[in-house]
Formats: sequence, C-alpha cells, structure tokens
Amino acid sequence: MADKGNDPAVIWQTMIGEMEKGFNSFANQAMGSPEFSKMMNQVGGASAGAQKQLGELMEKYLLAMNLPSRAQMVGMAERLQAIEGQLNEIKALLHQVHHNSLAPEGGYGTPRPPRTRRPPSEGEQK
Amino acid sequence: MNAPAGLDLASISERVQSEVQRAIQRSIKGVEYFSSSGPSLGSTPKDILAVRGTMNLYHYRPVADEIYRVPILIVMATTNRGYILDMVPGQSFIEFLLKRGYDVYMLDWTAPKPEEKSLRMEDYVLDFIPDCIRRVQQDSGEHDVTVIGYCFGGVLSLLYGSIFHDGPMKNLICFTTPIDFREMKLFSNFSDRRYFDVDRLIDTTGNMPPELILQSFEMLRPGSRVAGQVQLWDNIWNDEYVKAYRMMDRWGTDTLPLAGEYFRAITKDLMWDNKLYNDTMTVGGREAKLANIKVPILHAVAEHDHIVPYDAAKHLIVKIGSSDKEEVVLKGGHVSVVAGANAIKRLWPKLDSWLGKRST
Repeated sequence: MADKGNDPAVIWQTMIGEMEKGFNSFANQAMGSPEFSKMMNQVGGASAGAQKQLGELMEKYLLAMNLPSRAQMVGMAERLQAIEGQLNEIKALLHQVHHNSLAPEGGYGTPRPPRTRRPPSEGEQK
Repeated sequence: MNAPAGLDLASISERVQSEVQRAIQRSIKGVEYFSSSGPSLGSTPKDILAVRGTMNLYHYRPVADEIYRVPILIVMATTNRGYILDMVPGQSFIEFLLKRGYDVYMLDWTAPKPEEKSLRMEDYVLDFIPDCIRRVQQDSGEHDVTVIGYCFGGVLSLLYGSIFHDGPMKNLICFTTPIDFREMKLFSNFSDRRYFDVDRLIDTTGNMPPELILQSFEMLRPGSRVAGQVQLWDNIWNDEYVKAYRMMDRWGTDTLPLAGEYFRAITKDLMWDNKLYNDTMTVGGREAKLANIKVPILHAVAEHDHIVPYDAAKHLIVKIGSSDKEEVVLKGGHVSVVAGANAIKRLWPKLDSWLGKRST
C-alpha cells in the first residue's frame, strides 16, 4: 500500500478541509465586529425594501401577462393541501365507521398495539 | 529503473487505475445527479391529525406489537422541516423510535401566509403546543406526554413547560437548545440592536423571508458550501455519499419563513434582552422561568455545534428546576448529532435507554 501521506487524493481532501476551516475562521473573525454588523444591516435593510418593491412590480407584470404569481401558486398549493387534509379526515371517519379492509395497516380503524411495553432490563439493552 | 524509496509501483498503478475509473464514474454520475431527483424523504407512514395556521400535527403509525404507555410529541424548530428526523429508512429517528416501541406524534410547521404575519410567540406557546398536547391525549387516550424539542423547538417546549408546569408534560428532551443567546456570538452580532432595525424589516416584509434566515445560517460557515460542492464532485462516484449529501442539502436549503410578530419577539426578548437566560421571560403576560419545570429532562448537545455553541446551551441543566436531569455532550454538529450516521450510534440509543424507563 502506498503511504497515505503521499496519496494525492488524501492530500487534496486534507487541503480542501484545511482551506474550509481557515476561511471559516477568518470570516467569522471579520463578521464578529460591530462594523460588519453595521454594514450588513445597512445593505440588508436596503435590499429587503428593494426586494419587496421588485416583488410587487413582478406581481403586476404577471397580472398583466395573465399569469399566476408565486403567491397565487403557493395559495393553490395550500388549498390542495387543505383538501388533502380534509380527504384524510373523511377517510379516517369512513374507516372508523365501517372497520372495513380498506384501512391501511396500522392506520385508523385498526386496533392499536397495547400500551404495555416495559423497557428491556440492562442486560437486554443493545 | 528503481522506484524511489517508500513508493510501490504496483500500488501506484492500482491507484491510477482506480482514479481513472472514478473519473469515468464522476462523468456518468454527474449527469445522473443533475437529471434525477433526490431520495424521497419523510416517508414513514403517518396520519395527519390537525392542520391549523402554521401548525401540522402528525401521528406516525406504530410498528411494534406493544408500545410504551406514554406517547411522544416532537416539536420541530420553526425554521426547518420535520423530515430531518425522518430521512430515509435506516436513517430515520422516527423509524428508530417506532421500532423501539414508542408512540410518536410530531408538531411540524409550514410557512406562514402573508396574512399570518401577526402570529405571535403567544400563538406558538399558549395555543399551538397546548392544542397539540390535547389532541395527542385525546388520540392516545393517555394523560401524560413526553415532549422532545429540537433547537428552537426546544426553546418553545421549555416555554410551554415553564408555563404549564402542572402537567401533562411527563418528560422533556431537548436537542441543542439555546438558553444564553449572547453566546450565539455571530447571530448576536448580526442582530446588534444598534444596527439591526427589526421593526423596519418586519414592517417592510411582513414575514421574515426564508432567504434571509438561510443566508444568516450560511454566513456562520461561509466556506462550507463551496467546500461541500468540491467534496461532492470528488465523491460523486460514491452513491452513498451522494445520497447523504442530497438529503442534507435539500433539508438545509428548505428553510421556512417566520411569522413577522413571532420573529420580532425572538429578536427583542431573546436576542436582545436574553430574557430566557435572565429569568425574565414572559409569554402573553405569563411567567416562563426555567426553574418552574420539574419533570425529568435530558439535554443533548453537540460538541462541534456552530449554530448553538455549548456555551449557549449549557445553562439549561443548571437553571431547570428538575431534580432528575442529565446533559449529554455528543460528538457531532448541530444537525449530525440528531440525524447523521453518528446519531444512529450515539444519540438515539442514549435517548432510548433514558426514555424507556420513564415511559411506562
């Protein structure tokens, strides 16, 4: 076997790891200063405002193009999720009422296991 | 010609061969990577018990023939999705608990809608969690409930437990839960009250945008994303590595927005005034002192947690009012301690041996 210290793949991986650590540590020091916080919040505050304005503008554009906006798509997805939730509730009720074989294994309508489990003794612990 | 000392020509040839094979595999798998979707996550069978506002309550279907009397309610962190605890079979904390005979419920969160920007800390601590506890009691037929909170889910569980200290919480388990927010040094600096105008931000955006939350998490380790991608390319021939990378990457970037008023309260009460640590925290006018909690508690913290460093988490065990309390410091980071390969060997068995005898 070749010595691991001479293996270019190992050297490469170690180098990447060290570079990552070094960069993170350097950046963390720089980001820990009050000046950084001041600068970040000035830029962040301005960009949040700009982003909101851009979002509103985009919404108007999509409306003009007769296309749904992201908010509308999210709204639709949530409506679908709510419908799915209601379907689940109806399914659960049906299973409870009929106790039929359509009930999923371990799901509603099938008896749950008894709550009698005891912890294994110390010797049995895996 | 002789090889230089320490070098074996046969092994060099094997090594070159294996590198060539890996290079070919990288090209093939690289194309596959971009043309395929990641593994299906969070697929342990479950039933939805309730959906209201940002609250989703699931019940996982028991798999053991006999289960412990006390059910578990897992409270997820509000910034992330609950499937981190239910990745894929064999790497799922939920699956582990079910196989060990626990009855598991999860309070998971969805993104607040723009009109839900007014959800406050009170809604989370005095309404959503108690409502879920009631539903778990109703569904399981048991009065007692064990609560497990992950990261900020742990903070919410502590606030709930300190207000509703007369029950029905029987045991409390917290994973990587911050108490002293000053010790989350970079977050503390990012939200420095002299420069961070939380009112202006929330009044402008409504809810706290997920991009800003993700950005602030990524800024804690700014070199790691690039290094991760280099390592992915290096290991793209390795299916197991790629699968694990995709799971973690998908979850890590699937950040939820936070309701505006709720985020405002976190910033002012916890980040700025450090009220949980100072024992001055109130929710809806109700005192939330950690000393009020008397139930058995286990706090699992990670040795290399860059999000919630040990100094931010260590005060929980000191301040809690319980006499039956234990802190366990495990190797790993903020996520790998609960969901990585190490969690399977370290945290999960520890939790099982601690909780089993307190669940009858």
